[in-house]
Amino acid sequence: MNFISRILADELPFLFACPALLWEVVFLFLPLLVLIVYSFLDYSVQSHAFVITFEYYKQVFNSLYIQVIINSFILAITTAFICLLIAYPVALYLALKVKKQFRTFLLFLLILPSWTSLIIQIYAWFFLLEKNGVVTHILCNLGIISQSTHLLNNYFSIIIGMVSCFLPFMIFPIYSVLEKIDPLLLESSADLGANRFETFKRIVMPLSKPGVYVGLLLVFIPSFGEFAIPSLLGGSKMVFWGNLIVDKFLKSKDWRSGSALACIGILLPLLIIVSSIFIVKLVKKLSSPNNQQRTNKARDVWS
Amino acid sequence: MQRIRLENVCKRIDGEIILDNLTLDVPAGQFFALLGPSGCGKTTLLRLIAGLETIDSGKLFLGDEDITHQPIYKRRINTVFQQYALFPHLTVFENVAYSLRIKGMRDDVVKSTVTDVLKMVRLSGFESKHPRNLSGGQQQRVALARAIVNKPDVLLLDEPLAALDLKLKEEMLLELINLQDKLKTTFIYVTHDQFEALTVSDQMAIMNSNGAIEQFGTPKQIYEFPVSRFVANFVGNTNILEGTLHTRDGKFMVEVEGVGLFSVYCPVEKHWMIPGRRLYLSIRPEKIFISKKEKEGFSNVLYGKVVNIIYYGRTTQYHVKLRNGIILIVFEQNEEHIPLETIDYDDNVFLYFQKENVVLLEH
Repeated sequence: MNFISRILADELPFLFACPALLWEVVFLFLPLLVLIVYSFLDYSVQSHAFVITFEYYKQVFNSLYIQVIINSFILAITTAFICLLIAYPVALYLALKVKKQFRTFLLFLLILPSWTSLIIQIYAWFFLLEKNGVVTHILCNLGIISQSTHLLNNYFSIIIGMVSCFLPFMIFPIYSVLEKIDPLLLESSADLGANRFETFKRIVMPLSKPGVYVGLLLVFIPSFGEFAIPSLLGGSKMVFWGNLIVDKFLKSKDWRSGSALACIGILLPLLIIVSSIFIVKLVKKLSSPNNQQRTNKARDVWS
Repeated sequence: MQRIRLENVCKRIDGEIILDNLTLDVPAGQFFALLGPSGCGKTTLLRLIAGLETIDSGKLFLGDEDITHQPIYKRRINTVFQQYALFPHLTVFENVAYSLRIKGMRDDVVKSTVTDVLKMVRLSGFESKHPRNLSGGQQQRVALARAIVNKPDVLLLDEPLAALDLKLKEEMLLELINLQDKLKTTFIYVTHDQFEALTVSDQMAIMNSNGAIEQFGTPKQIYEFPVSRFVANFVGNTNILEGTLHTRDGKFMVEVEGVGLFSVYCPVEKHWMIPGRRLYLSIRPEKIFISKKEKEGFSNVLYGKVVNIIYYGRTTQYHVKLRNGIILIVFEQNEEHIPLETIDYDDNVFLYFQKENVVLLEH
């Protein structure tokens, strides 16, 4: 009995994690596995057997699909960087200027929109930006746009929707690193002769880098595969990777092509991220070949 | 090397008065210690000088220049913070080089200056390490190097050794003294530890709990001639007795009820030294001689019973209960392997002290 209870005690964390793990395996990893298997298998009519094929991957290399990949990539990058531009000052303000007792409330306001479903959020933008919508109406009356300008169904409306949905994913990681910066560091920087700008450049920015990287990842990856926002706010004029996969599965019922596209949709952002990390590292190393201090610094950015 | 002068400085934080009409003159090129109990406002005073806090009213001078409203980053004053506040993302070298880089110095000048300073604080070879990989004492040295590399007019040290153990603390104190000797920068050292303050300073000021300066002087003046009961108690150990002042043949005597009449000696007569006035006597424990035998040549003698003996190795501390129930503390140097006389618990003893060693304090 003693033995069993000891094992139970030792493995208790694992036991508690089991339901979640089971959920992940059954509803995430198994479907993913099915997806991968599907993308490589083909049913051969001659031999009445399944054969391994790369046929569905090969079709990616036509100009149309490559254009779609580029579209998605540009959309994801643009979304990520616009989010960064908006989120950084917000996070900075929250972490350094707002008093502690108000912070929780403001953070709560930031996540409040995410409590409604994504589709509802998108429709909200839809009604704001449509021809008779509030935004169009106000801008028209102010004389900024003419009656004939369309705010909806273009790249602009897609970006607005994307940024508004993904902004919290950028603000939170940046806020969490900025909030941990010891105010004493800022004081000692000022003490050593740095003005606010220098302190920001030399202390705040480098220390917040991890948060920025996490934020960029959290926005870039889902943006790459996003399909609901472009199709609802973009009027399906531009095709993105996500739309392509949805079309393959739901419209053409071509599950094998869809699976292959989905796998590529997972691999490609990963590849882009890994290679960009590598390139940044390489550039830093090459730019200061003889300086021991500098190479150490470059290494630390990623450690 | 510059002198720092505060004139009628007032400071409130959240409505609470921290410093009230404070005036202080720190001479140039000296090691100056500001000693006060925790929470007395000495750190606030330091932050005012550094420029981390603004002065409500009053003036602050660096040399002859009014720097009351000068922003922090323009002041030629640097601080060693209690928690070191090293930049975690920078190496030791870059931490120390920080203020030079901001000034936009050339790389080779930065390199030679930082190398020199690191050598001065005995941290050569640690250039490429990160603060988190250093011990407390080493981090302390980096903080010190970072603050002196730019050759400030005044260096502020806010309880810099508070986090170090005793042995390391004593070592660092000596190093600080040597460093100040070499640099000739004005050092302002804030601490609540009287041992540190006495050790390092050329001049020191004692701040009381209300944020006012009680006494200003050399460590010796402050230890030997405290001007108030607070100073006498705060700096070192002392015995405080309460009594009434009398004059006999033009000489001062103090009567302590239930104990007796003591002859005292006052080199400087104060306005409150009027016969019949209540006052305090302060006698340092090491200035009392304890013995079971009758001795000649002492101006004052007390009788009591030993109630406690604490052996410290170098000294022994006796607690002696007087006839009126007051307990006096006596330090005795352990000069011999085998003491000439052994004093034990409950022994009746004589306590001898000279009138020159009694300090009179205002009630």
